[in-house]
Amino acid sequence: MASDSVINIRGLSKTYGSGKKQTLALNRLDLSVAQGEIFGYLGPNGAGKTTTIRLLLDLIRPSAGSATIFGLDIRADSVEIHRRIGFFPAELSLWEGRTGDQIINYVASVRGDTKGIVKHADELAERLDLDTSKKVRDLSSGNKRKLGLVIAMMHSPELLILDEPTGGLDPLVQQTFHEMMDEYRAKGKTVFLSSHVLSEVQAICDRVGILRDGELKAVESVEKITNVEFQWVDVVFRDAVPAGLQQQLERLPAVTNVSTNGTRVRMRMVGDFDPLLRVISGGYVETLHIEEPSLEEIFLAFYSGDKEKTE
Amino acid sequence: MTGIVIGNTLRTSWKQILYWGLGLGALGLYIDFIAMSPDIISGYADLLKSMPPAMLQAFGASDIALLTTAEGWIVSIFVSEAAIFLSVFAVMAGLNITANDEQSGLMDVILSLPISRSSYLLERWIGFALIGLGIVVLCALITLAGVIGMNVDAPHDVILKSILNLYPGTLLAMTVTCLLATALRRRALAIGFAAAFVTASYIFNVIGAAASGAIADFMENVSYFSYIHGEAFVVGTYDPADSAIVIGAILIGFVLALRNFVSRDIGI
Repeated sequence: MASDSVINIRGLSKTYGSGKKQTLALNRLDLSVAQGEIFGYLGPNGAGKTTTIRLLLDLIRPSAGSATIFGLDIRADSVEIHRRIGFFPAELSLWEGRTGDQIINYVASVRGDTKGIVKHADELAERLDLDTSKKVRDLSSGNKRKLGLVIAMMHSPELLILDEPTGGLDPLVQQTFHEMMDEYRAKGKTVFLSSHVLSEVQAICDRVGILRDGELKAVESVEKITNVEFQWVDVVFRDAVPAGLQQQLERLPAVTNVSTNGTRVRMRMVGDFDPLLRVISGGYVETLHIEEPSLEEIFLAFYSGDKEKTE
Repeated sequence: MTGIVIGNTLRTSWKQILYWGLGLGALGLYIDFIAMSPDIISGYADLLKSMPPAMLQAFGASDIALLTTAEGWIVSIFVSEAAIFLSVFAVMAGLNITANDEQSGLMDVILSLPISRSSYLLERWIGFALIGLGIVVLCALITLAGVIGMNVDAPHDVILKSILNLYPGTLLAMTVTCLLATALRRRALAIGFAAAFVTASYIFNVIGAAASGAIADFMENVSYFSYIHGEAFVVGTYDPADSAIVIGAILIGFVLALRNFVSRDIGI
């Protein structure tokens, strides 16, 4: 992985403050992101996602460790790296008194290829249904974010670093964004996408890293991380739920989170189904629905599992 | 350095030249208008004679006799008042170089572009230095136009030079504010310290010029207001070394600001 890695992070740490007020925002992060990959970076607020991104962009300096992008050091070669990447910040701020076109022209001129970049920016703006003739202060928050996406993508960067990019975008634009990400993947470009919208990560990412309290808890493919041991099982009886069934289910070591509602029983199931089937055979089972956990639930499982260990 | 950031700074902030330049120019015209009447000037000089030296200095008049001439009046009063207004501009411009964009989060977008921190700071500084120059030149030209238009009997070159001499001090106040913003990171703190710097400089200049002794001399020497002495152009005692000292302080301040900005974390 490391040899064809676009992003290569080794032991990266960041502490804020000093003395008693010192906060460990990121703790010895090791991570590689391969070329052509869309990598989802997940975690709750304050987990260290934005800190990681700001370190990669050389906006803040690591307390320990190092990282490379395209094999270039994030600190020594930041200007060259920035030439080849596009960035969308979570807290987007733009020049309020300037129009989208003026900002696009300015950013394009800093990037050094005004004509080609502006042409591509116009295409992106059209796809995102963005009016670039308006001043930023007159744009809605959703349209500001669209402009931020145009600025990040208009030079067709080799690597896109996106921090919570789709918050505030309407579903149609989110769909367009997902299509753009698929196109990026098809072109062999790389995307590092921080998000807490887990369904979005599930829809567009190849691999997912889960961060909590500044520590990387897991890095897996989306398929693999979805294939966790537990499943949700819904059993619908033709008649009322048999008496004492809930207690019987709760005694099964593989079953947790049992809830009943009329003729329906819902439970969280781990491992073999045979003990469950034996218990529910006392009633007339109309339907049996097995549901894979959502990425949200997987995330919560990582989160609560780790929390239990520490308690 | 490509000049792109300078161009963008001028495009976004050029109106400041008009607002400040025209405002100070209007002040210059008002002072020119009074200078047309020798009676008013001499009456004002008589009033100042009854004041203690510190008060005189605060009114921009260290030499009463000088105030009775048209050029002495224009230079003494206009330069001392414009220096205060320009200090306000300088603090605002110093904050605009990095602090405002850092506070708003815009700096994250800017520094994710292929431009080094040092180039960015330098180009922003040059951009606002040019805006400051535009303001000083505009208000000097308006004041001079008033002198010519109102037939005030005052040497034009003296008026022009003494007003243009406001520029190094303005740049120094801007650079010190920029240095404070890069060192303190928090905009509110930088504003507080910059305001304290300007106010302390002004008070030091007033007290230092009015009193005598080693402490008073020291106070006057460390105040940048004491290097903006328009009267020296009227009486012919202007020393280029004074401007050189201010320029040296600007360079030192800028290098320290650059070092801070390049080496520290950006944002909150």
